[in-house]
Amino acid sequence: MKKFSLKTRLMIVFTVVFAVVGILAGALSWKETKESVDEFFDTYQMALARSLASADWRHADSEIQAQTNKVLKDIRHADDDDDAIGFAVFDLQGRRIFDDNEEGKHFAFNTRTGAFFNEKNDDDWWRIIRVLSADGRFIIAVGQEVEYRNDVSWDMMEEFMTPWIGGLLVLLILMLLVIIREFRPLRRLVGDIKQRRPEDLSPLAADGLPSEITPLVNAVNGLLFRIESTFQRERRFVADAAHELRTPLTALQVQLEVLEMSDDDKQAREKAVQNLSQGLQRAVHLVEQLLALSRLDVSLAADEQEKNALNWADIAKTVCSEYETAAMAKNIRIFCDVTEQGPVASGSPALIATLIRNLVENAVKYSPEGAEIRLKTEQNLFEIINSGVHLNEEHLSKFGQRFYRPSGQNEKGSGIGLSIVKLIADYYHCSLQFKNTEGGFCVILSK
Amino acid sequence: MRILLIEDDNLIGDGIKTGLEKSGFKVDWFDNGTDGEEALFQAPYAAVILDLGLPETDGLTILKHWRDKAKTEPVLILTARGDVDSRILGLNKGADDYLAKPFSLKEVIARLNALIRRQSGYAAAELSFKDIRFNPATKQVSKDGVLVELAPRETALLELLLLNKNRVLSKAVIEEKLYSWDDDVQSNAVEVHVHHLRKKLGKDVVKTINKIGYVMEE
Repeated sequence: MKKFSLKTRLMIVFTVVFAVVGILAGALSWKETKESVDEFFDTYQMALARSLASADWRHADSEIQAQTNKVLKDIRHADDDDDAIGFAVFDLQGRRIFDDNEEGKHFAFNTRTGAFFNEKNDDDWWRIIRVLSADGRFIIAVGQEVEYRNDVSWDMMEEFMTPWIGGLLVLLILMLLVIIREFRPLRRLVGDIKQRRPEDLSPLAADGLPSEITPLVNAVNGLLFRIESTFQRERRFVADAAHELRTPLTALQVQLEVLEMSDDDKQAREKAVQNLSQGLQRAVHLVEQLLALSRLDVSLAADEQEKNALNWADIAKTVCSEYETAAMAKNIRIFCDVTEQGPVASGSPALIATLIRNLVENAVKYSPEGAEIRLKTEQNLFEIINSGVHLNEEHLSKFGQRFYRPSGQNEKGSGIGLSIVKLIADYYHCSLQFKNTEGGFCVILSK
Repeated sequence: MRILLIEDDNLIGDGIKTGLEKSGFKVDWFDNGTDGEEALFQAPYAAVILDLGLPETDGLTILKHWRDKAKTEPVLILTARGDVDSRILGLNKGADDYLAKPFSLKEVIARLNALIRRQSGYAAAELSFKDIRFNPATKQVSKDGVLVELAPRETALLELLLLNKNRVLSKAVIEEKLYSWDDDVQSNAVEVHVHHLRKKLGKDVVKTINKIGYVMEE
């Protein structure tokens, strides 16, 4: 079955309801009118019958009948209004004594007096009442044509109902117009969505919409916003990744061409191969970090991290032990003075471990031989200090920016590690600070 | 041809230096802006390759300093920022050409050759002198249509003299232009190369101007 729109359905329902109500009201008022008219005419007929009954019919004969006929004829001639009333007088033996010389001529004799009966006379239905005359010797029948009564009822009802029906129709048209008008903002909304280009993720206009629809539009706008930020993140990621890959790819390209040029030079060839391998390692490392960042981006955006009570002491100790070997190779000592409580009380241990791991990795990588790295917690604060490192202010202000890394570094790195740290800190509403202190370069994570 | 290369990435810098040297250029490579900027004032370079993302001083700033101080050496910019706006900005700041990463070493060499050629007033791809033709891209030399084998140093000297046709170059200038800081220059090296050129290409190819230097004069 075809599904009609809400608007069409409302319009159909209203039209049908109005038609049914109109017909019912008409039928009811027909019945009422008819009953009133019947009552009125019945009373009138009864009064006429009573007055006829009080007359003396013993002397009625054909001469009187003839005279009366003449008078009646004149009256009828003068007055066009025919109320379709007739009468006849019978004696108790059923002989017709007197009548109105018109409709009454066809009235049948009957002894059922005092009640109205609908009878068929001369192909028409008549409503007839019979009464006994005052002296009890005659029966007087007074009748009126049913159709006349119906005509009167119909005329009355027509006059009475016309303004009502008209009013009802006007009301219906007004309601239909209101429905059309009220649905216009919805139509506009649909048109707006239909015409949209796929990349247009700006919010839908909610003004002018009924309050029932506004939550829906708000929900859709919320979704659009989330899609937009996901898109932006993805676009930025692709742009960043493409940009970051340019340098390692250039190095590979250039070194490969050097290798091609070095057919006859064994030493140059060996060096180019070594450089190629180093460049490839750098590219692979970069791609891995990009992927890690992208995955982190996605999972943080989806907000699907678990909420566990965090034991910073355990996490920090585990991470520090991972870097013991690397630190020992450079004669670096790592001190882990971390208590159980850190700046974040509950969250994902894996994320916090990633954060600490990136910071420790950087500290080990960029500290000079024999340096000291110290991790510690204070109230709502986690810090890591590496001695012997001092960064200039220009670099400090740019730290933690996506992919920022001071140029001219010999260590392979892409600046993604700090981006990851920043992303996790932001996720837990922590601030990240980089500064030079007397004890060395210091990173502070605080709530 | 002596080239100044300023590039902070070890692998790219090393690759360009090696590649250019294999193509007969002499390269002085600096991995930071400060030293690189100063280097242009210390020696005559045929062209400069300048990376934009440098530690300490940004490439565009260096370029501006050079141009402000009337240094006219052709500059080829290398950068990861390849969009049109960045290119326009670089060219407006006085760069002569622009290469976006990732680029091919062959393209660097080709563009460098074109830059040097244009700087010397040549529009054609080949340099010529009388019946001698020299192709800077392939380093091939021919006399009367016949290919002549030259040693790398001889080729470089010929190219230098061709690029400075009708101008007298002193022995000191030739040494500076042909040798990088790393090279050990023998005191009579230039004389030896000129001698070889005359032997292979004809006696009157290179004129000796007494006590001043050498010239290819038409």
